[in-house]
Amino acid sequence: MENRVRELRERQGWSQGELGERLDVSRQTINAIETGKYDPSLPLAFKIARLFGMRIETIFDPGK
Amino acid sequence: MERYPVKRYNAQVLLIMAAYALLVYFEWPHVKTVADPGFKIVLALVPALPVVGVIVLMGARVLRSDELQQRLHLIALGVATGLVAALSVFLSFLCAAHVLTLAAEDVLFWIFPALCFVYGLTRLALSRRYGGTSC
Repeated sequence: MENRVRELRERQGWSQGELGERLDVSRQTINAIETGKYDPSLPLAFKIARLFGMRIETIFDPGK
Repeated sequence: MERYPVKRYNAQVLLIMAAYALLVYFEWPHVKTVADPGFKIVLALVPALPVVGVIVLMGARVLRSDELQQRLHLIALGVATGLVAALSVFLSFLCAAHVLTLAAEDVLFWIFPALCFVYGLTRLALSRRYGGTSC
């Protein structure tokens, strides 16, 4: 699943660690999400969308 | 829930395992010289307490991990359990066929360290795969 987490994070000027702190997850989890190695759970995806003030489907694209 | 700091976890495990080493080195040799069965059981089980302590710490750490880390812990635990279980079945059949002769107490002693070893290696490999810096 593709996502725009890195782009949105960098736009805010946050490091992976800072974003992790805001979402209460580890830096490793943020890195794995950004690189597409891990798809977050629905609650975490909603948390990310809420933090950036966007709809979940504008951040995460399940592809075809 | 507040995360379990890795440094604190490592320090606590190190402390508990140091206590375990001291017990095995200084207390365990006296078990065979004690005659009273009740006291013998107590003395024999004392070194197991630190091991239980480490298992409780591991559980606390997993519970206080985030969702990806919990997944990695559980995969590593699954791999470790599967490998050690498979190895124990192989050894059991070889012993039953009298191809191998193993003392039961030696084999039982190595189950937990073997689990920890495979778990640690798998956790490290998974952590690197998912972009982590530590296990």
